[in-house]
Amino acid sequence: MDLFPKPSSANGGSGFADVLKVIYESISDLNVQLPADRQIDKSADSVLFGEGGRLDSLSLSNFIVITEQKLYESLNFPVDLTEDDPFSPTTGHFRTVHSLAAYVCELAERRSGAQ
Amino acid sequence: MKLHLISDFNLETLQQYLVNDSSWPKLSVTCAPFGQVFPALLQPVADPSDFALVWTSPDKMVPAFAAALDQTAVDEDRMLSELRHFAGCLLQAKERFRAIFVVSWTLPPHQRGNGILSLKRQGVRKLLLKMNLTLAEELDSSGSIYLLDGQRWVETVGKSSYSAKMWYLAKTRFHPEVFRHATGEVKAAISAVLGAYRKLVIVDLDNMLWGGVVGDLGWENLRLGGHDYHGEAFVDFQKALKSLQNRGILLAIASRNEEAVALEALTKHPEMVLRPSDFSAWRINWNDKAANIAELVAELNLGLPSAVFLDDNPVERARVREALPEVYVPEWPEDKTLCAGTLLQLSCFDSAYSTGEDASRHEMYATAKKREQPGRILITAEDWLRSLETEVTVEELNDVNRVRALQLLNKTNQMNLSTRRLTDQELQVWQQQNCRKLWVFRVKDKFGDSGLAGILSLEIESDFARIVDFVLSCRVMGRNLEQAMVAFATQYCSGLGSREVRADYLPTAKNNPCFKFWMSSGFSYDETKKRFTWPLSQLYGFPPGIEIQFAHSLEGST
Repeated sequence: MDLFPKPSSANGGSGFADVLKVIYESISDLNVQLPADRQIDKSADSVLFGEGGRLDSLSLSNFIVITEQKLYESLNFPVDLTEDDPFSPTTGHFRTVHSLAAYVCELAERRSGAQ
Repeated sequence: MKLHLISDFNLETLQQYLVNDSSWPKLSVTCAPFGQVFPALLQPVADPSDFALVWTSPDKMVPAFAAALDQTAVDEDRMLSELRHFAGCLLQAKERFRAIFVVSWTLPPHQRGNGILSLKRQGVRKLLLKMNLTLAEELDSSGSIYLLDGQRWVETVGKSSYSAKMWYLAKTRFHPEVFRHATGEVKAAISAVLGAYRKLVIVDLDNMLWGGVVGDLGWENLRLGGHDYHGEAFVDFQKALKSLQNRGILLAIASRNEEAVALEALTKHPEMVLRPSDFSAWRINWNDKAANIAELVAELNLGLPSAVFLDDNPVERARVREALPEVYVPEWPEDKTLCAGTLLQLSCFDSAYSTGEDASRHEMYATAKKREQPGRILITAEDWLRSLETEVTVEELNDVNRVRALQLLNKTNQMNLSTRRLTDQELQVWQQQNCRKLWVFRVKDKFGDSGLAGILSLEIESDFARIVDFVLSCRVMGRNLEQAMVAFATQYCSGLGSREVRADYLPTAKNNPCFKFWMSSGFSYDETKKRFTWPLSQLYGFPPGIEIQFAHSLEGST
């Protein structure tokens, strides 16, 4: 995966920054369907799902397909964000924007490791 | 206003989009438990003024059709019988709602059906077409049930419109983008039933109905029709406007032009689709467009919410949006080949009724024009011009700007004091004398960069200076740049110790707009000599809201 040469789950990796940008675009799209009191800030710290999160399971499902499509269109990175149960409290990769970006990078690492 | 969503799949995402959409009409939306289409249709609702949207899957409403998807033989009689049962329930439910919108059945793009046999015999796509057509016919006589074209919604989003993942995760069939698009369509449908559709298109002329600026080129040289891709696109755009007129939508013109010149083009050009008689009213002049639009709407006895304004110029669009927020001003493509399609996809003209009167409305207006008080302008034209944040950069003629300056000098007709045409060599010879100066003016504002748009040249005599060239592109006319150029000229000459500035007007068939500007400029006018004069004992000030800066001569300047 050229766009993820050295994906890093920490801030600063170029792959991470690209993924973060795509997630912010997805948040913009998702916010159109969310009421004013559930709008998600475009910030790495924004809590998405779980305790204190703005997304219910339907919104999370919508967010998943929107983000998957944008990752493919923007970064040419086809990905299944449901590979690990997104609704499980134990996986937690949809907990925050940051954890989601790190998860995408991790999936990219898995992909490049498998090749 | 309440809308009930009824479906055999999860429509909560559509519900969220509809509830959170701030455009009119604001809706309160309920979602019946999915899969319970028939009970939801037949149970009483609290208020018969409510609307319902019924969006179903073909194989769920018509189980016999499922056999086609399984590639087994379809009992077509049974299929049509099941379909009529569904249609019967809809007809039974129509008394319970003000209107019922039924989304026509679609299949996912990946459903290839029977391949090349899909549209033959019992092919999947052929059966689906037959079902949709039969449903349309069954519902046709009902005045309050509307079959909406779901296929167009799906095609708009494309191959990602159906989402298998959304089905497995949330029992909804479509990608959220389909529901986002459907939100606009459903609102347009409700607006149509409520009669709140737009009834008037006000259109600009230059680079909208034809390519080019008629005041500069003359009607004979416009790009319209012919063996020219842009010319053909303009013809198609005019045809699209004509098709709206045939639906009962009125057409009007708001254009910065000389009226006689523009009407001559509309009358004489052999490939013009729309003639003056197609327009119910027009304002073709150099006044503020927002004021013109308010007058047009009043003249036609309509309200501002009835009007749509189409203009290729983003500054004019923004001006009208701010001054007349009730007028709908859609974004407009720069690519002229997209204009007809952009017009035809607007949903604001959708009406729930189509009558003979609609089609003849134009004639009714044409024979019974009635003038009322113009609509209220929220922001004056002067305030608007100040808000543009216009920046003008003045440059001396140099090797970098010379080509564009010559183009502007040699093609501008309307705002052109002397209509002097020069070759590059002639310009260089003219400029060699020290008493002659030529500057170009670059213009940009908060909407974008208009580039090199003006030319000013002076010939300085012993105690007076004469403006030789005064040229401004029609793209930026009427934005106080004329005054800024005059102010620049007078203040420059004042600095040289001249007593007065003169501008000798050389009339042509096309430069009347320039004459009108100079007549309003404050200069005194000698009709015999056709000379405008300003005494430099008085200051000619720069207009407010325009920032002028002088660019230092570049290397290689002449």
